[in-house]
Amino acid sequence: MKNIVIGRDIVKSFGKGGEKRNVLDGVSVEINEGEFVSVMGPSGSGKSTLMFALSGMDSVDSGKIAFDGSDLSGLKENELADILRTKMGFVFQQPTLLKNLNILDNIILPSMRGNRRKAAEITEKARMLMKDVSIDELAERDITQVSGGQLQRAGICRALMNNPRIIFGDEPTGALNSKSAQEIMQLFSEINADGTAVMLVTHDAKVAAQTERIMFMSDGKIVSEMYLPENSGTDIDDRIKKVTAKMQEIGI
Amino acid sequence: MLYKIIRNDILKSKLITLTTMIFVAAASMLVSLAAILVINLSGAIDGLMRQAETPHFMQMHSGELDRARLEAFAAGNGDVKNFQLLEFLNVDGSEIIIGENSLAGSVQDNGFCTQSGKFDYLLDLDGNIIEAKDGELYVPIAYMRDGTAKIGDRADIDGKVLRVAGFLRDSQMNASLASSKRFLISDSDYTEILESGTVEYLIEFRLNDISLLSDFENSYAAAGLSANGPTITYPLFKFINAISDGLMIAVILLISMLIVAIAFMCIRFSLLTKIEDDYRDIGVMKAIGLRIRDIKKIYLSKYTVIAASGCILGFALSLVFKGMLLENIRLYMGESDKSSLELLFGIIGVLFIFSVIIIYVNEVLKRFRKISASEAIRFGISQENRSGSKHFRLSGNRLLNPNIYLGIKDVLSRKKLYLTMLAVLVISTFIIIVPQNLYNTISSKNFIKYMGIGDCDIRIDIQQTEDISEKAAEILDSMKSDSTVSSYALMSTKTYRLYLDNGLEQRLKIETGSHSIFPVEYSEGRLPEAEREIALSAMNASELGKKVGDRISVEIDGKLRALTVCGIYSDITNGGKTAKAVFSDNSAPVMWTVICAELADKSLIGGKVSEYAQNFDFAKVSDIDEYILQTFGSTMNSVGMASIAAIAVALIITVLITLLFMKMLIAKDRYSTAVMKALGFTNSDITAQYISRSVFVMIAGIVFGTFLANTLGELLAGAVISSFGASSFKFSVNPFVAYLFCPLAMIVTVLAATIIGTSGAGKLKISENIKE
Repeated sequence: MKNIVIGRDIVKSFGKGGEKRNVLDGVSVEINEGEFVSVMGPSGSGKSTLMFALSGMDSVDSGKIAFDGSDLSGLKENELADILRTKMGFVFQQPTLLKNLNILDNIILPSMRGNRRKAAEITEKARMLMKDVSIDELAERDITQVSGGQLQRAGICRALMNNPRIIFGDEPTGALNSKSAQEIMQLFSEINADGTAVMLVTHDAKVAAQTERIMFMSDGKIVSEMYLPENSGTDIDDRIKKVTAKMQEIGI
Repeated sequence: MLYKIIRNDILKSKLITLTTMIFVAAASMLVSLAAILVINLSGAIDGLMRQAETPHFMQMHSGELDRARLEAFAAGNGDVKNFQLLEFLNVDGSEIIIGENSLAGSVQDNGFCTQSGKFDYLLDLDGNIIEAKDGELYVPIAYMRDGTAKIGDRADIDGKVLRVAGFLRDSQMNASLASSKRFLISDSDYTEILESGTVEYLIEFRLNDISLLSDFENSYAAAGLSANGPTITYPLFKFINAISDGLMIAVILLISMLIVAIAFMCIRFSLLTKIEDDYRDIGVMKAIGLRIRDIKKIYLSKYTVIAASGCILGFALSLVFKGMLLENIRLYMGESDKSSLELLFGIIGVLFIFSVIIIYVNEVLKRFRKISASEAIRFGISQENRSGSKHFRLSGNRLLNPNIYLGIKDVLSRKKLYLTMLAVLVISTFIIIVPQNLYNTISSKNFIKYMGIGDCDIRIDIQQTEDISEKAAEILDSMKSDSTVSSYALMSTKTYRLYLDNGLEQRLKIETGSHSIFPVEYSEGRLPEAEREIALSAMNASELGKKVGDRISVEIDGKLRALTVCGIYSDITNGGKTAKAVFSDNSAPVMWTVICAELADKSLIGGKVSEYAQNFDFAKVSDIDEYILQTFGSTMNSVGMASIAAIAVALIITVLITLLFMKMLIAKDRYSTAVMKALGFTNSDITAQYISRSVFVMIAGIVFGTFLANTLGELLAGAVISSFGASSFKFSVNPFVAYLFCPLAMIVTVLAATIIGTSGAGKLKISENIKE
């Protein structure tokens, strides 16, 4: 299977002088097309930093990152922005919607750049996606008028608008109650089933247990990895047990 | 503890703190300067008029003089403290040559006199009474200022050679607005040149009590004494002396008001941003039981520090710059005897600014009351509804580029925030356009309308000569046959007895002739058309208490006639007191005649002026532009300078505020910028959004500012102009300057400042800013 994201020997540090600390300490990662992966680790282990680095949003001190065959560090700002907009989708812990746009406008925002003549088409697509995640009634609402779970769905719709090759999720269920969280995870599974790669960053074993591959991070390094292919059991509790056992084994 | 909070706060927002302080300093500097100027101006005028012993009442008179009756009147009137009769030898400007310069082009009535014996002294630049020796000529200070004369110059007065020995201050005629200028020579030199001009008389009185002035004026008029010429009183002398510098003070005060307003906006914006940043903290402080007064103190103290330092700095600067502005006053009027008070008044002005700022900060901080502790702690941000413009949707937008859309949307959703910038732009546009329009108006040919004559090309004055009517007819004959003259009109001024409602009588100068050819602007009513109609100058109308439709009784050719007031017009010449009528009357002697002419080909004006001047040496022929320039030259220059200064100040303010505003916006909007970047918007997209915001606000600002300038600005300028005796002031707008150049300058400035201010807006770490 083809790699969509490749990271090699990524080093990234924060702080200066004596306080300098490697948040990513020589990390190498590969994500395949259509793969459903998660990165687990305690707070400060570097998992979010890894996600920002792999997506090109953050620069790194050293190492190589390639997306779909092109070296991200060699790209111009505009080229990188094009990739972010058209080939990647992002979902964050807090729904990062703009306050002065309504739900629908927030969803179509990235697609409208350079495409305003296709506004009707784009809006049509957004409405379909909203229907898929059951928020089609909320299109005209302000973002302060809907629940956290609904906002997160809107965020997912926005991420899906340009048919990305991969969706990055940084603790996408972190701010939700368990019911909403489960619904969101269900959505990610469906997106993945349609062929889009998904990479989730989480500290929640239940979230990780629903992905195919889990990378465990500690102190800026990937310390272990485990595969949970779909055929390794569909019982969620069973899968969670496997993940927690692995965590205990590696001591995180 | 408080000190630490203030220090940290100031260090964190250096730019805004500094800018606020600069504006406070500028405002206090200007207010302090204005106070210092007022004190010095009034002190200098008082000083000059006291040293010179300016007459309380002066009647100019040309022609036969009944000396004995005047003396008897003075002796018999108990109010008169001192009386004197001065001669003023009016010499045509072309007969006066100083150094290389001839005064032929001067619109002033230049005349010679000897030092007076009892009062109304001509003073040297040290304030001493000048004793002119034979061969010495003392020249009015205005001719030193404009470079016409310098000490040691050879002066040729109709063949008599004199040497410029010094310059004089004339408490009556210093100002360029006074239409005559007195040169001082020795008694024997005066006798020698007596034949070179015509003698006019200055009939001067000083009273025991100046409050009796208006009674005295009436009794002088009622006595029917010599009065063939303008009457000028002490308050008017004072006023004429104060006008030029008074205008400057008014402009300074206006600008300082605007700067205070801008300082307020800086304060408001930074306070609101700060309150928003500290929303949760304020909530916590309220929740743990701190009183609003205590919380306010933290914020107030910072501004107390800023305001105090700004005021001290501004006061210091005003002491540095005062010399520059006082130069003119010192030159024309000498040192003020009240200058010891200037520091006190400067400090009072600065303290005023300080208190105004503190009161304002207090007002803004009142919103603390509205902050709900629980809401602040729970949400951390104010829960105001931000969307505002619900119907302006991206999904419905086919027209605008999304960046432009987002910029406009942002402005519409956060109107309150952008109000600050809008206000600054409105004010800047206002202070660019109003002085420009004012300058354009007073320097335009149309301004002549406010000077009691219509819009024409050439003005010919015939006065202080015999047989005025015949001489005027001579000129008219020549005009009739002159094909280059497309139209002309003759107006003669005579004095008539006016019977007031209270039984007293007064002299009224009435200008008769064809007023319809070069009509003046009538603020009320219209020009006189029928025999029994009269139009009054604004000052006369208000003094006589007459409105359009009222009647006045005038004695014409021995008969009392009731004239109906048909119009009121502006006139800033002849002390502002004139009247116009069309009745024919050959009984009263003509005091002066004015002929106005218009040429078909404007390029011939210069040639025609010299042609007529040569052919009719008894008349004063002036190109109307020249006429305005000479009468209003110094005022025009001051306004012109002020308008250039205003443009510079406004543009600097615009740049500063736009830069500042953009920097603050960028800081405030880091989160949404990070989100956009994560969604794949480029740095130039982000900058484009900021530009779209400021362009949108700018367009609104310029449109609104221009509108205000042409309405409120016109009213304000009208108020200033009306103090000269003009009413119904209208801007004459140069559309190229007002609607093209000024907006363009603003646009370029705002755009440049926005681009510079926001060039780095997109350069932020998404990962660090995307977490709210």
